[in-house]
Amino acid sequence: MILGRYEVLLEQRTDIRRSSALIVPVASILGALVIAGVFLWLTGRPALSVYARLVSNGYGSWYSISDTLGQATPLILTGLAAAFAFRMNLYNIGGEGQLYAGAIGAAWAGLAIAPHVSGPVAVIAVLVAGMLGGVLWILIPAIARAFLNTSEIVTTLLFNYVALFLMQYLIFGSSSFWRDPDSKNFPQGKPLPEVAHFPQLHFPRDVAGIDFPSGVSRVHLGLGVAILAVLVVWFLQQRTSFGFDMKVVGSSERAARYAGIPIKRTVIAVMLISGGLAGLAGAGEVGGRAYALDPNGLVLGLGYTGIVVAALSRYNPFAVGLVAVLLAGLRTGADALQGATGPLRVPVAIAFMLEGAILLAALGGEVFRRNRLVVRRIREAPA
Amino acid sequence: MIPDLSLASGGINANVWVVALAGAISFGVPLVLAALGEILAERSGVLNLGVEGMMLVGAVSAFLVADATGSPWLALLAAMAAAAALAAVHAFLCVTLRANRIVSGLALVIFGGGVARFVGSSVEGQPRGAEIDPLRIPGLADLPVIGRVVFQQDVLVYATVAVTALVALYIVRTRPGLALRAVGESPATADAAGIAVARVRYVHVIVGGAFAGAGAAYTMLVVVPSWNGSATTDGIGWIALALVVFASWRPWRALAGAIIFGFALRANFTLQAAGIAAVPAEILSMLPYLLTIVVLIALAPTAMRRRAGAPTALGQAYVRDER
Repeated sequence: MILGRYEVLLEQRTDIRRSSALIVPVASILGALVIAGVFLWLTGRPALSVYARLVSNGYGSWYSISDTLGQATPLILTGLAAAFAFRMNLYNIGGEGQLYAGAIGAAWAGLAIAPHVSGPVAVIAVLVAGMLGGVLWILIPAIARAFLNTSEIVTTLLFNYVALFLMQYLIFGSSSFWRDPDSKNFPQGKPLPEVAHFPQLHFPRDVAGIDFPSGVSRVHLGLGVAILAVLVVWFLQQRTSFGFDMKVVGSSERAARYAGIPIKRTVIAVMLISGGLAGLAGAGEVGGRAYALDPNGLVLGLGYTGIVVAALSRYNPFAVGLVAVLLAGLRTGADALQGATGPLRVPVAIAFMLEGAILLAALGGEVFRRNRLVVRRIREAPA
Repeated sequence: MIPDLSLASGGINANVWVVALAGAISFGVPLVLAALGEILAERSGVLNLGVEGMMLVGAVSAFLVADATGSPWLALLAAMAAAAALAAVHAFLCVTLRANRIVSGLALVIFGGGVARFVGSSVEGQPRGAEIDPLRIPGLADLPVIGRVVFQQDVLVYATVAVTALVALYIVRTRPGLALRAVGESPATADAAGIAVARVRYVHVIVGGAFAGAGAAYTMLVVVPSWNGSATTDGIGWIALALVVFASWRPWRALAGAIIFGFALRANFTLQAAGIAAVPAEILSMLPYLLTIVVLIALAPTAMRRRAGAPTALGQAYVRDER
């Protein structure tokens, strides 16, 4: 680009400085806070106090930390789902629908299988059925992508709407197996038997500062499953030949073909695993939080936020865990702000606005991590 | 999407299918406008997946301005400007900074949806402050069937047909259209021929955004009677993206496709009006999305054989070799 007598260009850095790995994300978050601050200011709200409340509501007490970890549980899994596929340039943006499908599967197992088996088996059945629900939901986009080269971006996304309507049909539109027959006027999901409920983490009541009604936190088995999933994904990517195949197919299909790597099989496997991870998130929401198929309580954009988590963590599974907790705090903080009074009462959508702004800022920031901005004075052309 | 049933209640004895066709045209307008915008952006080589986000920002702007001024035309302008501003962010990230286009497009959807829900949260569920009324074309409006389907639409429907024609002519028959195609097919060649690649891309991505905003304004001022958060557009931005593939990046085909998809989008109300209640509403609501998926998958083999008109440089950043 030429501005007057100066030339402005991006020059690729030959050495990417270590410190930039920290500076760029921090600058991105600050940038996002400024962008969202403009909208807060435009709607007559004190941006700084809103942010202060957001942080204290999200991370300020044991109660809010437990809440944030509960919120982070599905985000770790949907974040992993997106990161695992995005890494290979397979843009599965259907995590939202795969999560719903997982919830439908998990609720089915909780209602149909759990009453006939003992505790651990019931919980495992819920988890497996959730995973299978997610796998099933991505099956068609995965096959179409592998064999017909149909763009997975639009197909996975459109299936989100199909899953949403399916879930609504099961609870609101029919007297299905999932619906509570006792809820005539306000249709609800049939409650899962207690044997299928995920174990909760109990905080000892005498630890300073913790005051839960029954000593039970919002943290449930799902968090353990999510952490395990982080380790499994890392192991799969870094320590197995499948992970190597993934890397090759992702960077060059031609190289993969010459190396004899089964491309179609790798593509399908990656997409199915991605769908299964998102399905697990749905299982956690059913077995660890709602204890029923609850369409209204599930439509929180957890799958879409998973995309933000994945992009911000640059597809690294461990970073996914950290970023998920960070963004979950935004959500808990925003939930609390919605219930506040006066100018600090802020619609919960601020969390989504901030997530989007952070992602936009990080995209720009990433460029400056890899390149430097050079401003050069244009010399007169030699005669 | 909550439809404005007043639109469908034209004549007392109006044949259900005539009403359905008229409605398909009306539901198709936002789709074709958004698709035309995306065709312009993609023809310049810039994929913009952010259509849904631009439409949500456009729709909420249209609602707020209609509420404040009572003028549907100012609402239309505001929607176009807001969506174009969001598109400019995408252009900056993709053209100047050469960031990942797919992630940038998704970021636009998430940010745009968040902003729209944030600024629209206080008016959620409220009825709109202005709307665009249908225009009866004297003489022609009373013709049987065709009068109801074609000649009792609002002025934006006619304008949309005209705009489709203009975009088609622009791409194929004008010098800037030639430059656009050159940039989309081979940016290096275009650059060598003295075309400012970055400028062409910026212009078409931003104008494309304005088109998406116009489509969103139509949704807000004609199709959906109130602002309902992200359910206002309910994925029509994504269907528009599929429509571009369906149309092989050609404006007239996008118009034809939009009517087919528009028919599917309001299948719910058509079948209800026809007294066919056997299929539950939720299942019918899936129809447009399933149809889009089927179309995308069915088109894939043809697309592979001929690349079906996709601009060659679609999705490639252009870096001029330095010296």
